[in-house]
Amino acid sequence: MPKVIKTKTEFEGRVVEEYVVVEGEGLSAWEAQTPLRFVGKRTPRIDGPERVTGKAVYTSDVQLSGMLYGKILRSPHPHARIKKIDTQRAEKLPGVRAVLSFHNTPTISFRRQTFLFDQIVRYVGDEVACVIADDEEIAQDALELIEVEYELLPAVFDPEEALQPSAPKVQPDGNLLNGQPEIYQRGDLAQGFARADVLIERTFKTQCALHNCLEPHGSVALWEGDSLTVWDSTQHIFGVREGLARLLGLPLHKVRVIKKYMGGGFGSKNNLGKYTVIAALGALRTGRPVKILLDRHEENLATGNRPSSIQHLKIGAKRDGTLTALELKAIVAGGAYCLWPPSVGGPARQLYACPNLKTEQYTVFTNTGPLSAFRAPGYVEGTFALESVMDELAKELKMDPLELRLKNYTEIDQTTGRPYSTKGLREAYERGAKLFGWTSLKKKGQGVRGRLRRGVGMASQIWSGNGMPPAYAIVKINPDGTATVITGTQDIGTGTKTILAQIAAEELGFPIEKISVEIGDTQLGLYAPLSAGSMTVASVGPAVRGAAHDARHQLLDVAAQVLEVPRESLTISDGLFSSPALSECVAVPEVLKNLENFMIIGRGAREPNPEDVAVNTFGAQFAEVTVDTETGEVQVERIVAVHDSGRVINPLTLSSQIEGGIIQGLGYALFEQRIVDRNTGVVLTDNLESYKVPTALDIPEIIHEMIDRPDLKANNLGVKGVGEPPIIPTAAAIANAVADALGVHIYELPLTRDKVLKALGENHA
Amino acid sequence: MRNFEHINAPDLQTAIALLSKPATEAIAGGTDLLGELKARLRSPQRLVNLKTLSQLREIRYSPRAGLKIGALVTLAEIERHSVIREKFPILAQAASSAATPQLRHMGTIGGNLCQKPRCWYYRNKLFACWLKGGEKCFAEDGENTYHAILGAERCHAVHPSDLAPALIALDATLRVVGPDLDGEISVEELYTKPTASRRQMTVLGPGELIAEIYVPLPKEGARGIYLKAMERKSWSFALVSVAAQLSFEGERITDARLVLGGVAAIPWRAKDSEKILTGQKFSEELAKRAAEAALAGAQPLQGNAYKVPLARNLVKRALELLVASS
Repeated sequence: MPKVIKTKTEFEGRVVEEYVVVEGEGLSAWEAQTPLRFVGKRTPRIDGPERVTGKAVYTSDVQLSGMLYGKILRSPHPHARIKKIDTQRAEKLPGVRAVLSFHNTPTISFRRQTFLFDQIVRYVGDEVACVIADDEEIAQDALELIEVEYELLPAVFDPEEALQPSAPKVQPDGNLLNGQPEIYQRGDLAQGFARADVLIERTFKTQCALHNCLEPHGSVALWEGDSLTVWDSTQHIFGVREGLARLLGLPLHKVRVIKKYMGGGFGSKNNLGKYTVIAALGALRTGRPVKILLDRHEENLATGNRPSSIQHLKIGAKRDGTLTALELKAIVAGGAYCLWPPSVGGPARQLYACPNLKTEQYTVFTNTGPLSAFRAPGYVEGTFALESVMDELAKELKMDPLELRLKNYTEIDQTTGRPYSTKGLREAYERGAKLFGWTSLKKKGQGVRGRLRRGVGMASQIWSGNGMPPAYAIVKINPDGTATVITGTQDIGTGTKTILAQIAAEELGFPIEKISVEIGDTQLGLYAPLSAGSMTVASVGPAVRGAAHDARHQLLDVAAQVLEVPRESLTISDGLFSSPALSECVAVPEVLKNLENFMIIGRGAREPNPEDVAVNTFGAQFAEVTVDTETGEVQVERIVAVHDSGRVINPLTLSSQIEGGIIQGLGYALFEQRIVDRNTGVVLTDNLESYKVPTALDIPEIIHEMIDRPDLKANNLGVKGVGEPPIIPTAAAIANAVADALGVHIYELPLTRDKVLKALGENHA
Repeated sequence: MRNFEHINAPDLQTAIALLSKPATEAIAGGTDLLGELKARLRSPQRLVNLKTLSQLREIRYSPRAGLKIGALVTLAEIERHSVIREKFPILAQAASSAATPQLRHMGTIGGNLCQKPRCWYYRNKLFACWLKGGEKCFAEDGENTYHAILGAERCHAVHPSDLAPALIALDATLRVVGPDLDGEISVEELYTKPTASRRQMTVLGPGELIAEIYVPLPKEGARGIYLKAMERKSWSFALVSVAAQLSFEGERITDARLVLGGVAAIPWRAKDSEKILTGQKFSEELAKRAAEAALAGAQPLQGNAYKVPLARNLVKRALELLVASS
């Protein structure tokens, strides 16, 4: 019987408590020593061949009969009131089928901060109108024929300026999100600082970073009668379904969202986008399917970002390194619209034992592109500042940075007082240090080879670890001994499909080739949460295991009767039944073939999260760099990463996540930054030439290992997430290594030539 | 991009005639032009495809005349040409430092020399900047990290070519053809600071094309080097680049050519530095003086002062490496 329970989930640094309905008995997680055939094995992606041969149909590949194309007109002004939109000339252009604007579409509220087509535009790139035409070029031509009369309003781009009382208001209620800073505190801060032998106070700045997913954002909308089908490049098909149904006034069963393959999201595709709703309205108006696919320029303007931050950090410690107090005041540039603040203070609150602590965060509206989640939102920024100041503290105390971190190690979650279910950070430090050669490199000190200086640095990682209910799955066993896993999760490129096949094969006792996995369809699938917060496997995986478990038991029940052997004597492995009562093994189809089209349907649901422990992931990264003292060039030579994400299901797909996270972190450390013109608010880095992501030549040697210990309390697989953890400490480790090389710390990212040369005392004169 | 007519040029004379018409542009590799068309910075009605002019796709070398490179030779061909690598390493280095392997397979040397600036205000349709015929340079009080530190007047963009500084250091010349023109100018003379009446970075007029590039054989014992500071290891225009070519007699420098990229609207020849070096025996002190002289007139903006020490150190390093390699 379904049970209604309250469950706590930590999602991207925030603990949320919600009611969920769960069912079924909880399975125990496989113990570390349990022999497993598929789980834990390097398994190539089951959908690899179709992806690399171009046969996989991504949203951008969807071609429907009679399909039209939409292009969005975007505001050239950072803040303006639209007085008039004249679309007549655009509508007359041959091939144009419709022009949508606030004049001819329903008033649809978006995030309660804007409308689908708002008469106020709040950043350069805000949606103004949309042309639906026979092809993209005609639509683009027509955009230039739309005449918009704007009344310009004063704009503000800098978050500190936006906080001034005299600043132009980006949102009617003022520029501070929720009207007040977000404050967390514990202990007695003043007393903590008073007890300190050493105080360090620094201001850190981090840049705004853009996701630049390989596959841009986009949707294809098709109406069949009063049913809407949308192909969408999204991290949450059920979220898009709910949003479309709500905004368009449709019942849920009339909305179907499909996402089979995806070329990256990194958090920027967590939510329903305006382009999706516009595509649906355009298709409704024209009676033909409509595709809206954003281009690279739009990706860099209007699809979210990791916001810039200013972090004032004060830390107090005893002579022996024990932290006595920590205070963080962070200002985050939210952009024009912002639903939630990224937890910049998360690492400060959680990473170390510190009894007296306050974090205060101001998330500020500015007339720039809105923020979104971006792979460990807040934690990448927060870890850079915290781990930088820890290194400065270690230097001041003449302690090894690693020793200082171990001195303040905690087995208890500092924010809830709950013990960690498992914490492999101490081991990550030890193994990482050994792999890296930390002690001997540290002893050697800064290496100077002519113009080159070598430096080493390290940083720690904490992030939420568990998934969340509800998530459901079914496993069908076909008469020929194959099985299909069905659930409504989505593979955002991380290898979810393969992982789910491994889990099902393991639990069923089937060869993995006999398993297919159907995901990414709200109409045929069962609810699963969004693929974000490193939660997919920990949310859906246990449901799939539950479904496979249920299916296996049904299969054994049936087989025992068909084979006329005692039920408890029967086992299945590699698709073969065996029992002491049988002379030889029997294949599954041999049993099912006599039962006509009998189909086994196993059901599974995600169990609630444990109440008495905190489930988190941990890790440590070590970086070695050389800095060219004449040109300011930073060369990252090597990164060693050791992470604890619970049980590893697939070392191959996991290694892609670790390496990808480190590479993205390296780009953030060294050169990725959105540049907005200070005078006009225009994004100047609106392409992949000027927004610099790492190239193959920029990538250093990456050595990584996992603690790989099942977290038996977390869920029935013992897994924790791995998507976000690897990006968290990379920039901090690199910055600490650069500081080690230079002898001075750079407090601002990215570590471009101007900053490095300045730190070296090189200047114009 | 907007629709246009695409015409394959049957021969050079027809190409010139077609290109003399208004709203007509030449296309070779297209790596620069397509970006501008897609951004709708320009919308020509006709594109004249030069790739059909096969006589401009050759590299020829003779020990007496030196090197002759057709304007349609790709950067990839230059990069891997064995004679260029051996006798004109500075040119091979410059070609291989440009863009990415894919772009180098498409981009031609003629196009590389004539490319438009990468200034993000120039490249963005929302800014009617001075170079595009507008009133002001938005970089001057805006975001100018990548902009000029030397010799800027109304426009602060830098010329982005890697090949141009290298060719100027090698004292290369060009055959320029046009409606009433078939003559030779030095590569140095190709470039001009944009002026109010002529808002472009080359002297080429309508219908005028680079046909061939001639590189004289360096003197016996001459050595060259191209160094480029980039924000990442590949696919990055020069923050600053240095092309240096030195000739020696014994330990004495008999001839010096030093050209900086990424610092000005034109490839910046450091003539004061060349004078300091010429006739002298190399020393670290001499390299330092030459490097300082190269940047003596620098006038950085708010965001690009780092280019001054960067350029100075890069010049010094280029000279030191040239001497060390002897």
